[in-house]
Amino acid sequence: MSTSSSLRQSQAARPDSPHTPQQQLRSGNTSFASNTSPGSSFRNEDDAIIFEIGARWLRAGFEGSSSPVCVVGFGPEDSRRAGDYRGWIEGGSGARPSAQPVDAEDWTREYELWRLDLRQTDLGLVEDKIERAFRETYNQYLLTDAGTSRLVLVLPSLMPHPLLSSLLSTLFSRWRFPSITLLPSAPMSATAAGLRSALVVDLGWAETITTGLYEYREVTTKRSTRAMKAVLQEMGRVLTSVASSSGQDGASTDEISVGFKYCEEIVSRLAWCKTEAQNEGNGHLNQNISIPSPTNPEQEFIEVPFSRLAEPVEKALFAPDVPESELDDEEKSIPLLVYNTLLALPPDARGTCMSRIVFVGGGARIPGLRQRILKDVSHLIDQHGWSPIRGKVIERQRQRLAELRISTPINGENQSTPTDTASSPEDEKPDPSKDEPEIDFVEQKLRRQNKDTPVPVQGILREVDSLGAWAGASLMTSLKIRGMVEIEREKFLQHGLAGGTRDSEPAPDRRSGLRAGDRSSWTLAGWA
Amino acid sequence: MSRPFPYSYISCPCADTPIPDPAKKRRSKESSQKATPERTDATDDAATPKQEDNQDEGDSDEEQTFDPRSLRSNFSLYPPEQLLYCEDCHQIKCPRCITEEIVSWYCPNCLFETPSSMVKSDGNRCGRNCFNCPVCTAPLAVSTIENVTGNGSQQGPWVLSCGYCMWTTLDIGIKFDKPTNIRSQLQKMTDSTASPAYDARSRQGSRAFGDLKSPLSTLISAEGQPSAPNDNENGNGNGSEEQTKEDSTDVAPANTDARFAALKTFYRNQISETSNSPNDPLSEFGFSSPGALNRLMSLYASSSRLSGLYGGNKKAKSKPPVMREALTASEGLRVTPAGEEAAIIERLASPEGGWDSIASLEQRAQQSPDVRFVDELLPLPVLLRTKRAKRCKSCKHILVKPETKPQSTRFRIRLIALSYIPLPTLRPLALPAPSSFTSGTVTQTPDLDSLPPLRPVHVLLTLKNHMFDPVRITLATPSVTPGRVASKVTILSPQFEIGANSDVWDEALAGASAPVGDSRLTGVRTAEKVPEAGKVWDKGRNWTTVVLEVIPGTLPGSEADTTNAGNEDAGDEGAVTLKEDEDVLEIPVFVHMEWDAEAQLEQQNVGKASKPDDLVARELAYWMVLGVGKIQAAL
Repeated sequence: MSTSSSLRQSQAARPDSPHTPQQQLRSGNTSFASNTSPGSSFRNEDDAIIFEIGARWLRAGFEGSSSPVCVVGFGPEDSRRAGDYRGWIEGGSGARPSAQPVDAEDWTREYELWRLDLRQTDLGLVEDKIERAFRETYNQYLLTDAGTSRLVLVLPSLMPHPLLSSLLSTLFSRWRFPSITLLPSAPMSATAAGLRSALVVDLGWAETITTGLYEYREVTTKRSTRAMKAVLQEMGRVLTSVASSSGQDGASTDEISVGFKYCEEIVSRLAWCKTEAQNEGNGHLNQNISIPSPTNPEQEFIEVPFSRLAEPVEKALFAPDVPESELDDEEKSIPLLVYNTLLALPPDARGTCMSRIVFVGGGARIPGLRQRILKDVSHLIDQHGWSPIRGKVIERQRQRLAELRISTPINGENQSTPTDTASSPEDEKPDPSKDEPEIDFVEQKLRRQNKDTPVPVQGILREVDSLGAWAGASLMTSLKIRGMVEIEREKFLQHGLAGGTRDSEPAPDRRSGLRAGDRSSWTLAGWA
Repeated sequence: MSRPFPYSYISCPCADTPIPDPAKKRRSKESSQKATPERTDATDDAATPKQEDNQDEGDSDEEQTFDPRSLRSNFSLYPPEQLLYCEDCHQIKCPRCITEEIVSWYCPNCLFETPSSMVKSDGNRCGRNCFNCPVCTAPLAVSTIENVTGNGSQQGPWVLSCGYCMWTTLDIGIKFDKPTNIRSQLQKMTDSTASPAYDARSRQGSRAFGDLKSPLSTLISAEGQPSAPNDNENGNGNGSEEQTKEDSTDVAPANTDARFAALKTFYRNQISETSNSPNDPLSEFGFSSPGALNRLMSLYASSSRLSGLYGGNKKAKSKPPVMREALTASEGLRVTPAGEEAAIIERLASPEGGWDSIASLEQRAQQSPDVRFVDELLPLPVLLRTKRAKRCKSCKHILVKPETKPQSTRFRIRLIALSYIPLPTLRPLALPAPSSFTSGTVTQTPDLDSLPPLRPVHVLLTLKNHMFDPVRITLATPSVTPGRVASKVTILSPQFEIGANSDVWDEALAGASAPVGDSRLTGVRTAEKVPEAGKVWDKGRNWTTVVLEVIPGTLPGSEADTTNAGNEDAGDEGAVTLKEDEDVLEIPVFVHMEWDAEAQLEQQNVGKASKPDDLVARELAYWMVLGVGKIQAAL
C-alpha cells in the first residue's frame, strides 16, 4: 500500500509542482501557472488531453470521454496566411474542378499533413502545420490552456523518426507540456473493442496496416499501400471520366480534374463495396443515383449508376484484375494482406486473432467493405489453408497425396476444405482442437486450473467492433494506466529522441510498477 | 490574391529561429561530419532547386532572402494589425510566439459567461438553450409547435427550429415539454440506455457512473454472474458463442457513449478483480495496487517476445488471476452483425435516400462518429468561446489582457505591434499615361489586378510611424523577386527618416509648408512630380513616402515569356502550368528601423544614467511582403 500511495502522490503532485524553468525565465514565473484563472488549475488536475494524429485528420479530446471533442482535417485552407479568407469567399478550393487535370499524387498532396516518404516532405512545413493545428484545436475546441496538462498522443506504431522528432520537438518547444505519452494505435483500437488480442486492420490514408496483436503486444505488422488515398484517387478518376463523358472532351485517364473535397464528399457519402466479388444481378443496386455534377457541384446534379460508385473501392483495395503474383509486397490487396498477417502469426495467436478482427480507420466506414474483406479472407483460407506454399507442383503433389489418403495434418485439412465445407469456415477450425484424441496432460491441467475462466472464441472468422484508437487511449488514460513511452519535457529537451534508451524491453525496475516518480531514463519502446 | 490589392504582410521574426531539434544538437556534438548530409537534405527540402539557382549565393541561412512564395512563409506572414509587440523583448510577436491563457468562457450566442467549473462538464458547449442547426449550422430557435403551424398560443410541446433551412427537431422526432433547459431535456431523450453518464464528455459524470453503482453497472454485475458459468458449461463448443451473441445483442449498449461506459466499467472491474489487494473493488485504489499495476505496466511493451508476460518468469508461481477480455455485449463487446452493412447499402441506393439524405463530412464532423444519415443528426449545442490573455512566450510579459465580461470588448492591456512599427501602406502612383496609349495629358492609375508584364509601374510605399520617437528606416529588397516570375524591383530611396508621432497641432502650427492631405490629394500633384532616385517622394509629420519601381516579370508559359527566358529554364518545357498565386506580384522588403528610445525606469536606475538624455538606441528588423498586384498573362 505504501507503493501505491506514493504513486498517487506523485501523480497528484505532477501538475502542481513547479518546473525548473527551461528558457531564460525571470523569477516569479512559477506563479503564472497558478494565478491564471482559479478554474484552470482545478481543471487540469489530472485530465490528460488526447490527440490522435494521422496524415489527414486530427482527433482531440479529454481523457475519459467516449469520443473526441473535435475531428479536424488538414487541407490547403489550413495553410493559408492569416487574414486570407479566400476559402470562405470562393466556397473552398477543393469543391470546384481544377482547370487542368492534375497528377493523382499532387492532387492529394495539399491535403496531407505529412507523407511517410520523407524525401517529399518538408519537415519545417510539417512543424508549422502541426503547430497551427494544435493551437487552433486548443483555442477552438478544447478550450483549455495549452501545455498545462499531460498530453497523450496516439500514433501508429511505426513512425519515421524525423517525423516523430519534429512532432515532439514542436510540441515541447511551443508549449510547456510537462510530459507527452505515446500510445500505439493498434493496441488502443483493440482496447476500445474490449479485446486483449486482435487483428487490427487499419484502413488508413496512406497505408492499410494490419497488426496481429496478442495480449496487447504487436506480434506482426504488415502494410499495404492500398488504402483510402488510393480509393480517393480512384474515385477521382472515375468521376473525371464521368465528367468528361458527360460534357467536356477527354482527359487522360491517369490525371484527375475534379475537386478533392468534392471527391472526398462523394467517397464519404456514397462509396460502397459489393459484398460479393462478382454479383451483378441485384437490380436495385444498378439503379441510377443523382450526385452533384463533377463539373459544377454547387448547382447541377448528374445521374450515375450506383454500382459505378463501388468500382473505386473494388479496384483500389481488392485489385480484382491483377493476379497475386503481379502484386508487389507493398501493394497486396487487403484480403491478401489480412490473410498473410494471420499466416505470419503463430498458430495459437492466429486462432485467437482471426476471431477478433477489428477494422478501424476511415475505410472501415465504407459500407460492405468489412464484410467483403472477411469473405475474401475466408475464401483464401478455404483455398490455401494455412500454408504459405503455392505453386502448380505443390498443387499436383497435394492432389496426389490426397488421392493416396495419406493424412498428414496439413493435407487432411486442405483436402477437406476446398470441396465439401467450403462455405463455412466454422467447421474447419474446430477440427484440430476438438477431435484431437491424444491426451495432453499439460492441456488438461491448464484446463482444470482455468475452470472458472471462460474459453475464448477461437478459430472462426469474426469481426469485432471497436470504438477506435482515440477512444481506447481515452479509456486507458482515464483508468490511470500509464503507457510505456512517457517522454518528459526536460529529458527530451536535453537530448531529443536520441535520449531514449534503445531497449524496447522495460528495465527491471520499471516492471515493479514504480515508474511514475523518478525515472532516470525513458524509452521509445516500439518507436525506437 | 489573398486580400484586395495592394496589401502588406509582415513576417514575424520568430520564423527565423527554427524549432530546435535537441537530437540534432547532440548528434552534431558527437560527430560534426555526420551532420553534413543532413544539412544538405534540409536545404533541399527548404527550397526548390530553381529558387536556389536564383538567389542562393552560398549565404548562411540568416542571410537568405525571404521568399513570400515558399509554403512555409504562409505560417509566418501576418497582416500588420494582427501582430503584437513585446515591450520587454522589443520584438514583434505573432500568434506563434505567444502563449495564451483563458480568461473566461462564454457562449457566443447568449453571451452568458460559463463558470470554469462547468465548462468541462458541459462538454465545452453552451448548457442553456443555444443550439445550432445540425444541417446548416444556423442558430436554432425555440418555438412551440402551434407557432410553427401558425397558431399563436404559447403553450404545448416545444421544438427547436432553424430559421434558415426550416429544419426542426420534429424531423428527428424530438419535442420538448418546457421551453427552458433544453440541453438537459435533450440529453435525457437521446440517452436511451438510461445511463446517467450520457454526457461522457463530463468527467464527473462518468466517474459518478463508476462510483455510484448506476443502474447500468448493477445490470452488468447482475448479468455477469450467470453468463460466466454459462460459458463454462459449454466449454469450447462453438454453439454457445452464437447463443451468447444473440443474448448479448438484446442488451447491447446502443450508442458509442454507452458502449464506452460499459467498457470502462468492465475494465475497472477487471482491474480490481485481478489485483491482489482486496480493496473496495469499485474504489479507485483498486488498481493502484502493485499487482495490478505490475501487469498493466507490461501491457504496452511492444516486444514480440511473450516470455515477459505478466511480470517475469519466476514470480509467476503465485499467478494472479488474469484479466480477461470483454465477453458480452454488456461488457462493451460488439460483434458486428452480418447484415448491418447490407441495409446501409440498400438505403444508400434506394430512391428515397439519395444525396441529400446522407450527412456530409461537415455535418458529421461535430456529431457522434456513427452518424451516417441526416435524420440521425442531433441539434448541436453552441460551442463556447474564450477570452484569452496573451503573454510573450520568451519573457512571459503580458501582451493582451481582455476584460472578463463577455459583453465587453475592451482590453486592459493590449500591445499591438502597429503602435511600435511603422504601418506600411501601398498605393500605385498615377503616372501620365504612356504615349503609346493615349496622348499624355490624362493621368491613369495602373489596374493592379492586371499588371502588364515588363512595363514599369511606380508604387508609393508610405510608412507611418506611431511612436513618439523619430525613426530611421532602411529598406532593402532583392533586385529580382524570388520565384519563377522574376520581377525587378528598385526602391528609389531606401534610407529615410520618419518623424515622431508628435502632437497633431505641431504639424498644423509648423506652417502650411507640410502637405496636409497625405493620401488622396497627391494624385493631383503627381502630374508634375517625377520619381527620382535617392529622393523621398513625400514626407509628413509622422510619415514618409518612397517610390518603388517595379517591372513585373513574365509569367512562365505566357506569350511574353520568350523575351525573358534568359534565367528561366522552366520556360522551355512547353506546358508549364501556373501554380496558384504565382501571378501575384509580391515584393519581399527587409525593413530595418533604428530609433532612440527613452530608457525605461529600471534601466535608468541600474546605471545607464550616464548616457545623455536617457536615450537607448533600439533597432528592429523584419521582413515585410508587399502585395502589389496581379500580373496579366499577355502583354
